[in-house]
This record gives sequence, C-alpha cells and structure tokens, in this order.
Amino acid sequence: MIKLSKVTKRYAKDSVALSDVDLFIDAGEFVSIVGQSGTGKTTLVKLLIAEEKPSAGQIEIGGWNITRIHEHDVPFLRRQIGVVFQDFKLLPKKTVEENVAFALQVAGAGHSRIQEVVPKVLEIVGLKNKAKRYPHQLSGGEQQRVVIARSLAHRPKILIGDEPTGNLDSVNTAEIIEIFKKINEFGTTVLLVTHNREIVNQLRKRVITLHQGKVVSDEKEGKYRL
Amino acid sequence: MLSLLRIIKFALQDIVRNLGLSFMTVLILVLMLLSVNTLLIMNVLTEKAVQAVKDQIDISVYFAAEAPDKDVAQIVDYIKSFPEVINVDFFSRDQVLTKFRDEHQDNQEILSSLDELNTNPFGPTAVIKTREPGDYAKITAALSVPDYQNIIESKTFGDTQTAIERIQTITTQVERFAAAVSALFAIIAFLIIFNTIRVAIYTQRLEISIKKLVGATNWFVRGPYVFEALFFTLLSVGLTYGLIALAFHFIEPYVSLVFQSPQILTNYYNSHIISLLSIQLLAVFVLTIFSSFLAMRRHLRV
Repeated sequence: MIKLSKVTKRYAKDSVALSDVDLFIDAGEFVSIVGQSGTGKTTLVKLLIAEEKPSAGQIEIGGWNITRIHEHDVPFLRRQIGVVFQDFKLLPKKTVEENVAFALQVAGAGHSRIQEVVPKVLEIVGLKNKAKRYPHQLSGGEQQRVVIARSLAHRPKILIGDEPTGNLDSVNTAEIIEIFKKINEFGTTVLLVTHNREIVNQLRKRVITLHQGKVVSDEKEGKYRL
Repeated sequence: MLSLLRIIKFALQDIVRNLGLSFMTVLILVLMLLSVNTLLIMNVLTEKAVQAVKDQIDISVYFAAEAPDKDVAQIVDYIKSFPEVINVDFFSRDQVLTKFRDEHQDNQEILSSLDELNTNPFGPTAVIKTREPGDYAKITAALSVPDYQNIIESKTFGDTQTAIERIQTITTQVERFAAAVSALFAIIAFLIIFNTIRVAIYTQRLEISIKKLVGATNWFVRGPYVFEALFFTLLSVGLTYGLIALAFHFIEPYVSLVFQSPQILTNYYNSHIISLLSIQLLAVFVLTIFSSFLAMRRHLRV
C-alpha cells in the first residue's frame, strides 16, 4: 500500500515539482504514471525511495510513514522496493550474477540463500545462461532484465519502473513489460512511470496522469490522454 | 562477520578489477614515501655532519703553574657542576709536561730549552666539552671573574668563538630549512594523495550511488575503501622500505667513507624502525581514509 497525503515537493521557491498530491495505491495494483517531461514523475519516484524528502505532506509505504525517514533507515526501505531505471544502473565491474547477488549481500543474506535466489530470479528474466557476463557484454534489453532480476531478489512488495523502456527498442520494450506483468501477477505492486503511449494503452490498467506537479486524472482502466 | 568478509572480498575485487587505478595509487604513495624518507635521510646526514663538527670543538682552560692544587680542583668541580657540561678532561702539570714532550720529541731545540729551565713551566689544563656550542659562552663567562684571574692563565675559547658561532648559525638555519621543506613536502604529499583518491572515487561515483539505491548502508559502501586504503598503505610502505634497503646497499659505502663510521643510515633505520614504520603506516592510512571519506561524502547522499 502506498499513500500520499497532500504531498508537495519544492526544489526552490519558484520550482515546485509536486503540489498537494493525494494518492492511494493498493497492494497488488499495476499503476501507470504518465505525464509530460518535467511534470514531477521522477520526483514522485525519488520521494518513494527516500532519495528526496517532501517539503510538505505525508508519505506512507506499507504502513510505514517515511515522510521524515532517518538516513539510517533508508537502506531498509530500499530493500523493500525494487526500482528499475531507464539508464539501467548496473555495477559495471560486477558480473550479472554478482549484480543480482549484491542486492542480497547488502541486506546480509547468507551464502546459501544467495545461491538459491540468484539463479531463480535470473531464470524469471531469462538470463540464467548469461550469469557470468559483465553488463557491457549484454544488450540494452538484457541489461534492463538484469536490473529487474536484481530488484526482484529481495522479493519486494513494490516494483517501480522509472521509464524502464526509455532506452529500448519495441521488441525489448514488449519483453520488459511482459516481465512487469508477470511480476504483478505474483502479487507485487507495480508502478510504471512512462511516457510510452502504446504501452499504457495496451496494458488496460490504472493510469494516473500528472500535469505541472498535480494529479489531473486517475482512471481505473485508463488510457494515455496527453 | 558475514558483512565484514564480504566487504574485504569486495575490496580485493575492486583492487583487481581496477588494476590500473590501484597501481597508480600505490605508485603515488610510494613516491610520496620515498620523498619523505629522502628528506629524513638528508636530516640524518646533516645532523651527523653538524655533530661531527661540534665534536671537534672544545675549550681548554690553562691554569697558572703556581696555582694551588686546592683552587684548581675547586674550579674543576665548579665547571663540572654546570648541567651543560658533558665532559671535563683534567691534565695535571706532569701530564701536560709529558704530553708536551711527546708532541715535540723530534724537536731537540725545544726539549733542551725545557731542560734548561729545570722546572715544569706548565700549569694544569682542563678540556671542557658541552652539549651545544652555544653553552661555551656561558662557561667562559662564569670563569672570567676577578677571583679566578690569578688562577686561570688563559682560555682557548676566544680562538674558536667565531667558528662556534658560525656553526651554530648554520645548524639553526639547516634545521629551519629542513622543517620548512618537511612541511612543504607534507602539504604537497597530502594534496597529491587527496587528489589521487578523489579521482579514484570520482570514477566510481556511479557505482557508489547504485550501491546506495539497492539498499547498501553507508558502512557497506565505505567499508571496501577502508580495506583498500589499508592494503595500499601496507603495500606502499613495504615497497618503499624495500627500495630504501636497496638504495642503502649502494650508498652506504660512500656515506661510511665520508663520516668514517660504518652503516650510519642502516643503523639509524634499524634503531628507529618501529617508530618510523608505525608513524608512516598510520600517516598514510589516515591520509588515504580521510581523503576517500571526504571525496565520497557527496556521492553517498543518494
């Protein structure tokens, strides 16, 4: 469950990224967040992973009020949320399996658990046979699948995709969205931030539209309307 | 414990996978340590040279031949009571005469003149050594009082005073120069190391932010850098001391020749090895840790 109450984020006096945003996303939902560039979508993601703190309002994730989360607690929050970025964000000097394992290692998972989980998540994203490769030896779509595998390693309750298909061709885009749908079917809440009209229209899921930092529409089976 | 082992593993992985950067960091550290040790060696040699000159200097107090033994002994005791005095060699009248005869045994003219006198014309002599050349002035001033005028015939300090003053000036200037150069070296070394580490951290800023985004704590991100710093410190200090030992092997014969004393540098390093190693290890470790933490601070705010 994600709950935002009257959330405002100001970077400067005259630079308001989000203004009075009220939002409730239930567990297990698949929600697309759409909007033009600079409309506050990425700020919303940053607030959810505590990379930024709101200027006003309250944010709750799974009943945990993270509005004024302490710096020491941020890693624990992030271990419960999987995030997939447009620019992949893989550790270049680590192999595919090491990248995935890293997410578990930082949480102090034991060796046997890592040995058990890593092949499983790599299988889900179809990269079990490329476990020993380095990121630069993979295509863009494959790199993004490694990121998804890494974000799944913790079995997160929430998976956030911030323009996850922005750097991919249509074939890879379709594959990534299929994986997101599959993950959602397992019960994980998925938040997909995108401005890909085609994806949003094909999904036929809830669509929240942001415009100039405000929620201008919230439809249960919405379409891309900008 | 598991996290600690992982941090050590990541540190070793980072070193191997960033071999070029690791090599450059160690190289810079070795160059810095070599510079510092070169300066140290220069200081040791300068001190040795100054000491050698200082050792050549003393003052001789010549007592009058007719001075009563009791008064002479009293003055010698008085000289010995000065904390600045480290040694007083006393020569009795007979010893002075014997020494004079020995020194002029080839000059029959002088010896026959001495025999004609039929008496020992020499008074006793005291040769005084002090800790510092500057202390001689105090001793001579203490002896230049009217009470001793008839007992002390002469003092040689006047002859060497100029030389002593010059040595003192040179010593002070050399010490000041060495301190200034050392401070300059320390600043340069700090800036070089700080910037090397900063560049190393900057190249890894993306990795640091990714680690934070997947839920790593600050300690988990910083940890490998601490162990890398430790490893670089041990390696650079070890390599530096290996190179110094090698250099000593070649230069020690020449140094021994100049100072007429064997193994000066090796002996100095051997007798100070614990303090030298611990200071340099600690300094390099603190410097690398401080630099990396300072450079990393900004990238950890994700």
